[in-house]
Amino acid sequence: MSDASSPPTVSDTQPALLELTNVTKRFGGLPAVDALSFHVRQGEVLGIIGPNGAGKSTLIGLIGGAITPTTGTIRYDGRDIGGLAPHQRAHAGIARTFQITQPFVGLDVRENVVVGALFGRRGLSRAAAVRVADEVLTRVHLIHKAQNKGDQLTVADRKRLEMARALATSPRLLLLDEVMAGLTSTEIEEAVALIREINRSGVTVLVVEHIMKAIKGVSDRILVLHHGRKIAEDLPNAVLSDPRVIEAYLGERYARGQQSAQTLKELEGEII
Amino acid sequence: MASEAEVRGQVVVGAPVPAPRESRGWLWSTLVGLGILALIGILAPLAGDFGVLRMWTLIVMYIVLAQGWNFIGGFVGYAAFGNVVFFGIGAYSVGIFLLNGKPFLLGVAAGFVAAGLFAFLLGLPVLRLRGHYFAIATLGIAEALGEFIAAKDIGGPGGEVSLTPPGGGLGVFTLFFYAFLGLAVLTLLGTTLLTRSRFGYALVAIRENEEAAESLGIATYWYKVGAFVLSALPTAIAGGLWAYWSLGFEPGGEGGAFDVNISVAMVLMTFLGGAGTIVGPVLGAIIIEWLDLQTTLSATQIHGPLLGLLIVLVTLFLPQGLIRLVQELVPGASGTGERLSWSAQLRRGMRRVRRFIAANGV
Amino acid sequence: MALASVAVGQIVVNFLLVGCFYAALGVGFSLVWGIMNIVNLAHGALLIVGAYVSYWLFTQVHIDPFVAIFLTMIVLFAVGWVIQYLIINRVIRGPLLVTFMLTFGLDLLITNLVQLFFTGNIRSINVPYANVAVTIGETRIPFVNVAVALVAVGLTVALAQFLTRTRTGNAILATGMDSDAARLMGISVRRTYALTFALGAALAGAAGAMLAMTLQFQPVDSGKYTLYAFVIVALGGLGTPYGALAGGFVFSLAETVAAYIPGIGVSLEIAVAFAVLVLVLILRPNGILGKAYYS
Repeated sequence: MSDASSPPTVSDTQPALLELTNVTKRFGGLPAVDALSFHVRQGEVLGIIGPNGAGKSTLIGLIGGAITPTTGTIRYDGRDIGGLAPHQRAHAGIARTFQITQPFVGLDVRENVVVGALFGRRGLSRAAAVRVADEVLTRVHLIHKAQNKGDQLTVADRKRLEMARALATSPRLLLLDEVMAGLTSTEIEEAVALIREINRSGVTVLVVEHIMKAIKGVSDRILVLHHGRKIAEDLPNAVLSDPRVIEAYLGERYARGQQSAQTLKELEGEII
Repeated sequence: MASEAEVRGQVVVGAPVPAPRESRGWLWSTLVGLGILALIGILAPLAGDFGVLRMWTLIVMYIVLAQGWNFIGGFVGYAAFGNVVFFGIGAYSVGIFLLNGKPFLLGVAAGFVAAGLFAFLLGLPVLRLRGHYFAIATLGIAEALGEFIAAKDIGGPGGEVSLTPPGGGLGVFTLFFYAFLGLAVLTLLGTTLLTRSRFGYALVAIRENEEAAESLGIATYWYKVGAFVLSALPTAIAGGLWAYWSLGFEPGGEGGAFDVNISVAMVLMTFLGGAGTIVGPVLGAIIIEWLDLQTTLSATQIHGPLLGLLIVLVTLFLPQGLIRLVQELVPGASGTGERLSWSAQLRRGMRRVRRFIAANGV
Repeated sequence: MALASVAVGQIVVNFLLVGCFYAALGVGFSLVWGIMNIVNLAHGALLIVGAYVSYWLFTQVHIDPFVAIFLTMIVLFAVGWVIQYLIINRVIRGPLLVTFMLTFGLDLLITNLVQLFFTGNIRSINVPYANVAVTIGETRIPFVNVAVALVAVGLTVALAQFLTRTRTGNAILATGMDSDAARLMGISVRRTYALTFALGAALAGAAGAMLAMTLQFQPVDSGKYTLYAFVIVALGGLGTPYGALAGGFVFSLAETVAAYIPGIGVSLEIAVAFAVLVLVLILRPNGILGKAYYS
C-alpha cells in the first residue's frame, strides 16, 4: 500500500502511445477543442482537468472516434487513426468510458461486461468472455452485483461498470471520462487506487476530471484545458501552483494574490 | 454494510469467483415454441376442412413474418415499418416466374436472393438514419415500390397478378400449410441460434445502447445491415409461398402484396408477444391473426376500427409484451431460482403485479 | 414558344398555391414532432376528420367553407386535446416504437370510424364561387385556391408569432427544449403537451378543410397525407413553423417538376415524395432551415 501514495513516474524516454497534433473541433463555428497538441507516453497516467465546458468530453470523443476533428491529426501507436471508426479503435486497444454512464440497461451487469470481452481487442469466445467478465468485475469490486440490471445501480457502481466494460476489451489505452464525478470521498479513494492498479498492470491511462483532488493523486502529469485550449501541462504540483490555472478555475481575484500554500488549499477546497 | 466491506476487502486478494449460473430460459422457450408449432401441425389438417386449414395457414404465415421482423425490430430495436417490401418482392418474384412458365421453387429462390440483396442495398443508406427517419424511410420504400409496380404494369395491368391454380385440391393446400410450418420451425431455430451467438449479443447491445456498443468494438453499422438482411430472408420466402397459395394479388391496397397493414401486423404481433424473445412472435401472431380473421368473418364492418383499437390497447397496456408479463408475474420464470414458501411467493407475486401495473401506467 | 411560356406561367402559379397548402399540411405535424418528439401517424386521419367536419358544416348547416375552417379548427382542437390527455400522455416517454404504433393504431381507428359513418365515397366541397378566377393571358388563378393559400400562410405566421411572442407559446417552446427544466420552472408539462397536440390537431383540421375545398378526398387518403407531412417537415427541418413553409414549397416544386419528367408522370406521387425524402435525408439531415429542435 505504501507505493500507492506516490504515483509511479514514467521515464521521459518512453515512446508516445498517443499523440495529438493541432487538433481542433468546432461545433457550428465555436471551437470546443482549439489547436490542441499533446502526447501520452506508454505506461503513464495523464490527467486532464478543466472547468465545465473546457472541452474535456469532446476530447475523449475525438480520441475514441465518436467525434471527427475539424482539423489536426491523432496518432496512436505510431499510425494516424483519423480514418478509423470507434469500433476499429476499440480493436486497436483504445477503450473509453462515458461521463454520462451508458449501461446496456436491459442486460445485467455481467452481460454488460461480457459484451466488452466478446468484441474488444481480443474478441474472445463466449465462455472465455464470461470468465474475463467475472475477473474484471472482481477487480472493480462489482462482482457481488453481477446479476443486477444495468439500471439498478448506484452512481458509484455505474461508474465502476463503465470501467469494467472498458477493461474487458483489454485495452492498451484507457480513456476515463469523469469516472470520479459525483462520488463520495471514500469512493474517490477507491477509484484512485483502482486506476493505479490498472496502470500498474500495463495500461496507459488518460483521466479526465474536473475535481483537482481526485486527479492530483493519480496522474504522472497534468494537462489543463480552458475553453478548448491547453493552458498548462506539467507535474501535478507545478500545475496546481500555476497562476493561469488558478485564474481559470477561480477567476482573477485569486490569481492576483500570489500562489501561496494558503490559496492552493482554498483552491482544492472550492473545487472538491 | 459490513458484509459489503468484507466482500471488497477479499476481492483485492482474489476472492473465489462464483460460477455464473447459465440460464436455461432459451431452451425452454424454444421447446415451447416447437411444441406450439407441432400442435398446430397435427391439429389443423385433422379437421379436413378447407376454411380451418386456410385460417391456420395464414396464422403460420404471420408467425414467420413476425419472427422475421423480430430480427431487426426486436433484437436491434430499429423501428422498421416497411418489412412488407420483402414479402412483396418474394411474391412478385414467384408471380413473374410462374407467368413466364418457370418452376415455382426457382421463383421462391429468386425472391429469397432478390430480397436479401435489396435489404442489403437498402440497408446501406437507411441504416445510417435513426429513430423516426429510419421508420418513415422504410415505410416509404414499401409504398413506393408497390406504386412503382402498379404504374409499370409489372406482372399484369396495374400490377395485378393472376396465376393458374396448381391443381390437386385440399392436398396441395395441405402441402402449402406444411411449407409455411417448416419455414416457421426453421425461423424459430434460427432465432434460438441468434440468441446464443456473438451476432445476437451484438444486436442486443446495439438495441440497448448503440454508442456504447460501438465504443466496445462492435461494428454497429454492419451488424445492423446483417440483421436487416436476416429479417428479409424468411419474409421473402413467405411472400413467395403466399403468392402461389393465394393465386392472385395486387401490389397495393388492402390484401395487396405491399399492404402497409402487413408491416404493421408484424410489429404488433411481435410487440404483443414480446420483442426480442424467442417465442413471443409465435404467441403474438397466433393471437392477433386469429382475432383478426374472426372479426373479418363475423364483423366485417367494424373489423378496421377493432384492429385500430387493438393496436392502441396493446401499446398502452402491454408495451413489454406477454412474455415479459409472464416473467414479471411468475416467480422463477426470470431465472432467479430462489426457493420460497407458498405464502411468500404469493406476497411477492402481488407486489410484482402492483409494480407491473404502476410501471406500465395503466 | 408562346404556348410554352403560358404553360410555364400556369405551372408556377400551381406550384405556389400547392406549396402554401403543403405548409398547412406540415405545420401541425412539425409542431407535435418538434415539441413532443412524437411522429404523429394519425396526422392524416385528423386531416381527413377536418375535411369531413367542414364538408358536413357546408352541406348540412350551409356554412361558408372559409368560416368552416375556423369552426373545424375548434372541433379538432378539442379532439386533439382529448387524444393527448387520455391516450398519448401515457406513453409520452416510451420508446419510439410504442408512440409510433399507438399513433398508427389511432390512425386506423379514426380512419375506419370515418369510413363507417361517411362511407368510403370520394367527396369534395363545391363552393358557389368555385369558378371565380383572375385570368392573366392563358394563366388562370382561381380565387378559392388563392384564398386557401393565404389562410395557410397566415396560420403558419400566426403559429410562429404565438410561439415566440406569448407566454403560453414560450412555455411550449421551453417544454420542447427540456421538459424537466420546464417542470422545475412551474410549467405543467402535461397541460402544455395537451395544448401542443391540440394545436397540431387544429392545424391538421384546417388543412383538411382546405383540402375539401380544393381537391377531392376519401378516408383512405389519410396515410398518404401523413407521409406527405413527414416529407415536408423533414425537408424544411424541425426548427420553426417556417420550416414547414420552406418544406412545402420544395416538395411542391419537386412534385411539379417530376410530373413533367417522362416516365414518372402523376401516377408515382408517393414514389416521388419518397425519393425526395431520401435525397434530403442523405444530403441535409437537419432539413433546409436546419435546426434540430424548436428554438
